Amino acid sequence: MTGDVERYLVVGALLFVLGALGFFTRRNLIVLMLSAEMMLHGVSLTLVTFSRMHHNLEGQAFTIFILTVATCEAGLALAVILALYQKSNSLDVELWTDLREADLPPPMAAEDAGQRPFVPPEPKTFPRLTPAGVVPDIRDEHDPDRVDDAASPTAESPLEPSKVEDVIKTAVR
Amino acid sequence: MDWIGQHWLDWASLLLIAAGVLWLMPGAARRPKVVGVLLALAGTALLATRVDNFSSPIGESVLFWLFAAVAILSAVLMITNRNPVYSALWFAIVTLSTCGLFLLQFAPFLAAATVVIYAGAIVVTFVFVIMLAQQSGATMYDQRSRQPLAATIAAFVMLAAIVGVLQNVGESLRDSNPRPPRRTRPLEASSADVVANPLSGLAADEPLGKMHAIGRSLFGDYLFAVELAGTLLLVATIGAIAIAPRRRRGTL
Repeated sequence: MTGDVERYLVVGALLFVLGALGFFTRRNLIVLMLSAEMMLHGVSLTLVTFSRMHHNLEGQAFTIFILTVATCEAGLALAVILALYQKSNSLDVELWTDLREADLPPPMAAEDAGQRPFVPPEPKTFPRLTPAGVVPDIRDEHDPDRVDDAASPTAESPLEPSKVEDVIKTAVR
Repeated sequence: MDWIGQHWLDWASLLLIAAGVLWLMPGAARRPKVVGVLLALAGTALLATRVDNFSSPIGESVLFWLFAAVAILSAVLMITNRNPVYSALWFAIVTLSTCGLFLLQFAPFLAAATVVIYAGAIVVTFVFVIMLAQQSGATMYDQRSRQPLAATIAAFVMLAAIVGVLQNVGESLRDSNPRPPRRTRPLEASSADVVANPLSGLAADEPLGKMHAIGRSLFGDYLFAVELAGTLLLVATIGAIAIAPRRRRGTL
């Protein structure tokens, strides 16, 4: 395996196999379609290598057809994914098992039986600055009931600490 | 058995990449990502020492291994990432490095077309669909993979079969054809024993990547196929519009 062609062929085979592996294992419909596109990449690379190997243009012409078919496939698959998502509100491929063999259990039950229950990971906590704009307690020293005019608009300002925390929460969410 | 003993380093490299993929696969246990990436990188490097013959021009070798390593590593990260947005972005990087490999193989038109179609259209469409259909937060089906061990074994047994066939064919070719490879054109031009379609073949001194020749091949030998591909595009467009869900009220 020390040829000049074989290394391109090995990379093409690796791309194809990794795409197939993603297609087997992942459960997200979108990642499934991405993996299928990557398998097409592997085949394209192999065809271009063949074209160079035999010094003709058959492989490159085939690759252009692969591009066409990949485009059609992506468009149709994404339309189908959107339709399925609107029906089930989920991208899980295991939900669509209506056409399986009648006497087999649904794959999700067989798969999740031996596993620990799913606990969603903790939401990430980001560092944040201390909210600025705390209203200083400025009172007229002669008349304790009269609030200083300079401080009164800031008391009503949107930068009040509780409101600031609300704003930060919605932004983080 | 002797054959396995001769090539055990190849199998070890494939095993390393498989172990890296399996390590990165989403599952119940949270594992540090660095270990999987390092395993895959080590496997790729070992494969590099096994495949490269170090006789081709140094520039092409360096570029090839750059593009190939980036493509393989991005592919591993694409199929194992828990977030589909990152998967789509890694897929774009796989596409770009594949286009680099196309360029190295004298296919500039294909490289440009692939960048335009994949990176410009398909990845963008995928990201749009992720925006439309992705649930907020981490979802269960992204955190669990389906039969990771069995699928990895099956996929890499298939890869080992392909690599084994390549080794056998390469060795038999070298035995029957012991001439040293020429430097100017790194591959043996064997157009004599492979008969191309009449308009797709090239003369021995004609360069490979000219658009003129590709157009001649497409609109000469494959004219009907081109027409069929156009029809296929039209049908797919109509079908996608028909399938895509409409809003509750109003059009589209």
